[in-house]
Amino acid sequence: MKKFIKQAGAVLTIGALLAGVTGCGSQAAPANGSTAKSSGSGSSASSGGEIKIGLMADMTGPAALSGKEKLNGAQLAVDEINAAGGINGKKLKLVTEDDQGTNQGGVASFQKLVSDPSIVAVVGSIRSTIVQATDTYVKKTQIPVMIGGTNPGLTHAGDKWVFRARPNDNYSSKALASYITQDLKGKKVAILHDTDAFGSAGGKLLDQDLKQMGATVVSDQGYTTATKDYTAYLENIKKSGADVLGTYMTNSEDAAQMIRQLRQLGLNIKVAGSPSIIDQVTIKLAKQQLEGVYGVADFVTNGNDAAKKFTAAYKAKYGNNPDNYSSYPYDAINILANAMKKVGTDPNKLRQAILDTQHYQGAEGEYNFDKNGDGLHSYTVVEIKGGKVVPIKTVSFTN
Amino acid sequence: MSNFDMIAQLFVSGLAVGSIYALVALGYVLVYVSVNVVNFAQGDFAMIAAYFMVTLVVGLHVPWLIALIIGILLIGIFGFVFQLGTFQPLKNRKRAFLPIMISTVGGSIFLEHLFLLVYGPYPQKLPGLFAVDTINIAGVHVYPQYILILVVTIIMVALLMWFFEKTMIGRQMQATAQDPSTARLMGIRVTLMTTLTWMISASLGGLAGILIAPVFMVTTTMGSLIALKAFAASIVGGFSSVKGAIIGGISIGLIETFGAAYISGAYRDAFAFVILVLFLIFKPYGLFGEKVSQKV
Repeated sequence: MKKFIKQAGAVLTIGALLAGVTGCGSQAAPANGSTAKSSGSGSSASSGGEIKIGLMADMTGPAALSGKEKLNGAQLAVDEINAAGGINGKKLKLVTEDDQGTNQGGVASFQKLVSDPSIVAVVGSIRSTIVQATDTYVKKTQIPVMIGGTNPGLTHAGDKWVFRARPNDNYSSKALASYITQDLKGKKVAILHDTDAFGSAGGKLLDQDLKQMGATVVSDQGYTTATKDYTAYLENIKKSGADVLGTYMTNSEDAAQMIRQLRQLGLNIKVAGSPSIIDQVTIKLAKQQLEGVYGVADFVTNGNDAAKKFTAAYKAKYGNNPDNYSSYPYDAINILANAMKKVGTDPNKLRQAILDTQHYQGAEGEYNFDKNGDGLHSYTVVEIKGGKVVPIKTVSFTN
Repeated sequence: MSNFDMIAQLFVSGLAVGSIYALVALGYVLVYVSVNVVNFAQGDFAMIAAYFMVTLVVGLHVPWLIALIIGILLIGIFGFVFQLGTFQPLKNRKRAFLPIMISTVGGSIFLEHLFLLVYGPYPQKLPGLFAVDTINIAGVHVYPQYILILVVTIIMVALLMWFFEKTMIGRQMQATAQDPSTARLMGIRVTLMTTLTWMISASLGGLAGILIAPVFMVTTTMGSLIALKAFAASIVGGFSSVKGAIIGGISIGLIETFGAAYISGAYRDAFAFVILVLFLIFKPYGLFGEKVSQKV
């Protein structure tokens, strides 16, 4: 047995060494990126022909489904822009890196993208936790990064290079809380949230907003990403006597798994949650169980004219309906392209042009960038009826 | 009595999840005892068998129970191929423990990505053996699938015990595990026995995957999640005892389910590892670890 313990020790040491090696690797890269970058705008201007935009997408890993949707949305935007003549005569080119849906993967993919000095902007992650992890490197690199993560803090962390192509959770939690208290008449509300950056921040905001609007939060539970058995959480919700369940679940797979078990355990409760609970992947996995579930969505397929146009083009090209994983890269690239048409690819000018983007009609809604880099300020409440997402009302906020 | 309902509900679900950990843990233990390596791809056997099952049941419309048997056989053969690639080439090296272990880690990563490539990123749904999702017994909602898991686990453990203690091949496998060189002198075909162990161990992992697949969804990462807990279960059980693996697996299933309900849901996954660390510090031989200390 002593031998076994020795051997186990050796394994741990090797593991630690491996982690150390990748750690060193990631520290070396940003220096590369930033030195190369100073000459970046010059070289890309003189080279002509194409302008490169980087895309971080989870092509492998626990949320690999969303990565594909993301790539599709981005590619559609690039193809449309190029078909319409590109940007002042130059073609747009998308460079994709797999972020594996993890923080380490996110940092590695961002560094790999920006080590190419001709990349003028990056479409970043939809996962708040990955955006957080890459933020240090984004600051150093100093090119615009369009994110989809909705943790409010991400655009308030003093990084002027981060722009959000989705509304943040301050608005989603408020929209959710107001719908739960006013429309669903929820008095006793249970909260279930992921413990990652997105879920924990969202859960906390929802808790505050619900209390402010006069509801009692009778149960507030967190689970770790990719939990499979929700019995323990659902039993606590049952015990709490809640009349509405508000969720901030990060992954669609988790949301589908939870809602299936909720129905199987016979819980008679209204459910209203953050976007993942009503997205296309969740519907695909748990269509029947989702009937009558409410959610807030930043993107609704038939929400506005731009969304209708985007949906039609997406469906024609890929055969399925788009969701917010594909709509925000689509909008982000269009916003970047419009800005580049006006001011070229100099990072500082590009940054200002993005901030100056006002009243732009995107698939996600009307973009009015504020000084923090938040582009959108509204959410739509929807209900699942017959496996379809039906918009109920749009809740807009100023500021 | 709603409190009683809740405890009963948690107990059923903890027991079933624990049985799955136990089956995978058994796979670890068998390979460890017989060839003295830890196979880190044990959880992937569960994932692969679940995908086989999806293809058989959803794709080819094979009846569930027949598909189960075909699936177990297929994963057994797969175990044979796997050990041919990761174990056989390295087994005669001096201090082969570490190289083989790393080789199985590599195998695990390879398999997860291979299946992602073949089946795509969308989780697959595997229908259960029973038409109804849950049955209501006095306010407790029980998945029939959970009952099936319990029954099959009990039968499998009894079968294994009988196989190892009463049959000639089983005894030869035990002899090989305890002392390969003497076993060889006694005329036992050592390579055949170790190969058989790998196949049985793969089948146990596969069985766990097939049984849990209708309750969870089938994803390429489902195996590694189960494997981590099962590994902790094996340590708790002593890593060399069939009894230990079963008790370890079921304890971890129950502790994490009750812990999530009564202590903290957010730390659900932490419970298994806190127990693991406590055991490594205070009881490194696990609950039933005598045999290994004798062996070493």
